[in-house]
Amino acid sequence: MIGLTPERIVEELEAFNARLTRGIQTLSGVGEIEAGVSPREAVYREDKLILYRYRPRATEPHPVPLLIVYALVNRPYMMDLQEDRSMIRGLLDAGLDVYLIDWGYPDAGDRGLTLSDYIDRYITHCVDYLRDRHRQDSINLLGVCQGGALSLCFASLYPERIRNLVTMVTPVDFHTPDNLLTHLIRHVDVDLLVDTLGNLPGGLLNFAFLSLSPFRLAGQKYVDMMDILDDAEALKNFLRMEKWIFDSPDQAGEAFRQFAKDFFQQNKLVRGEVIIGDRRVDLHHVAMPVLNVYATQDHLVPPAASRALADCCGSQDYAELSFRGGHIGIYVSARAQREIPPAIADWLLGR
Amino acid sequence: MADPADTPAPGALDTELLLKQARTYLAFCGQLRQFVERYQDSAPNQVDWGLALRQHFDQFRTAMGESAGEPGADPELARLWTLTLELWQQNAAALGIVAPDDEHADAWRAYRQAQSQYLDLLRQAAREALDLMEQRLSERATAGQLIDSLRELYNLWVDCNEKTYGRMLRSDQYSELSGRLFNTLLRCRPQGETVP
Repeated sequence: MIGLTPERIVEELEAFNARLTRGIQTLSGVGEIEAGVSPREAVYREDKLILYRYRPRATEPHPVPLLIVYALVNRPYMMDLQEDRSMIRGLLDAGLDVYLIDWGYPDAGDRGLTLSDYIDRYITHCVDYLRDRHRQDSINLLGVCQGGALSLCFASLYPERIRNLVTMVTPVDFHTPDNLLTHLIRHVDVDLLVDTLGNLPGGLLNFAFLSLSPFRLAGQKYVDMMDILDDAEALKNFLRMEKWIFDSPDQAGEAFRQFAKDFFQQNKLVRGEVIIGDRRVDLHHVAMPVLNVYATQDHLVPPAASRALADCCGSQDYAELSFRGGHIGIYVSARAQREIPPAIADWLLGR
Repeated sequence: MADPADTPAPGALDTELLLKQARTYLAFCGQLRQFVERYQDSAPNQVDWGLALRQHFDQFRTAMGESAGEPGADPELARLWTLTLELWQQNAAALGIVAPDDEHADAWRAYRQAQSQYLDLLRQAAREALDLMEQRLSERATAGQLIDSLRELYNLWVDCNEKTYGRMLRSDQYSELSGRLFNTLLRCRPQGETVP
């Protein structure tokens, strides 16, 4: 049953201790961990928002720009984490002209920002800036996770400004039975939360994510890390991911209030009942070509939550791209680099 | 390259966090070492491994029972099960909500009660994980598969805990309780006062 001997145990413990001691030294000398590797320039700023243009890697990039709308949760450098793990680099290599909205870090002064501010003001201004800059009536939009939900709202309200829409690991039906985040927030008094805390602290979001799998994410992961402490490059990769995981901006209070209540608790997006500003979001108005990318092992946005879009959007040119992996792996795994950006680019360039 | 100013990220890794996990892992290994040493002089066919394991797991259960902070508890061993509660407490403390004045004593009591129920639920999942681990070990024994490293045992332990914890997490009881835990904490803050 258990083939361990005291000698073997002592040997294993000694090896573990030795690795730990050496590892602490390695850690202290590893230096600053940088993430976000592709050259880019800020082309538009508004409040804390910065719109970046990534330097094209094709001599003549595609004339219709692609705007990436990332989630308000976590930071967008996940899309460009390191040289060999960059969704953005893959899109640039495929000849696209790539822009990304960096939402920045909301502070107490942003507590009153609403979803209408994010959609009717920030996204609208970025889209219009790009339409003007590239002399295009409409541009391509790629929404990631919660950014995908915001993009769907935008595409529903301003369909004429979007030529093609790509949604990536985007929740649409928040009440599928396997939706753990909805399960966790179902009984939270969101009004009390926002009225008490103002903005939602990023640390609380981290707790929610860790609490989905604490023995692995807060325990085993660090024990396994001991195995790579001698490998500076592997260690840097690990730390880069750690940096991203714990780099959680606070969430602007009013926007969080509406997102938590209308999307998570009341599932209004899929029912066409979300109101942004004074307008109703009807996904049937999303009539442009849509590519819906989801991950089959996504524990945060289950495939069914994403695939619900097929039944409620108005596009006659709707396609799905399935990735065998999880919510994070779809950005950073080696296979994702090979599969996802070329597939998105092919789909876009064909339209 | 990214503008340094737009990524005021946290430190790369909290070394204390790493050391904490290492100490917890070592506490787990220490328990197993005691177990193995106790039976090292017995021939394999003289040991009722099922009984021996059950007795050993009882020690884990005792450690779990002590995890509420009774004297004599092994805090590192207890952390194996109470990690989620610890993470929660760290976050709750970061919100700046502390034991209130008399006016909010009832709110604080409600929060403490929810926290106690939360810990009970975690303990229940942990007990089920031990049962599952016994079962998995027995199945391996039947199949003639020996576990011959601490890490393998630890990984099995993690698998079992994730399994039973995941079941608990998906229950309506957990959804209600975790929501109540959060709501009761928030009610401890005087009305009209927000976190600066």
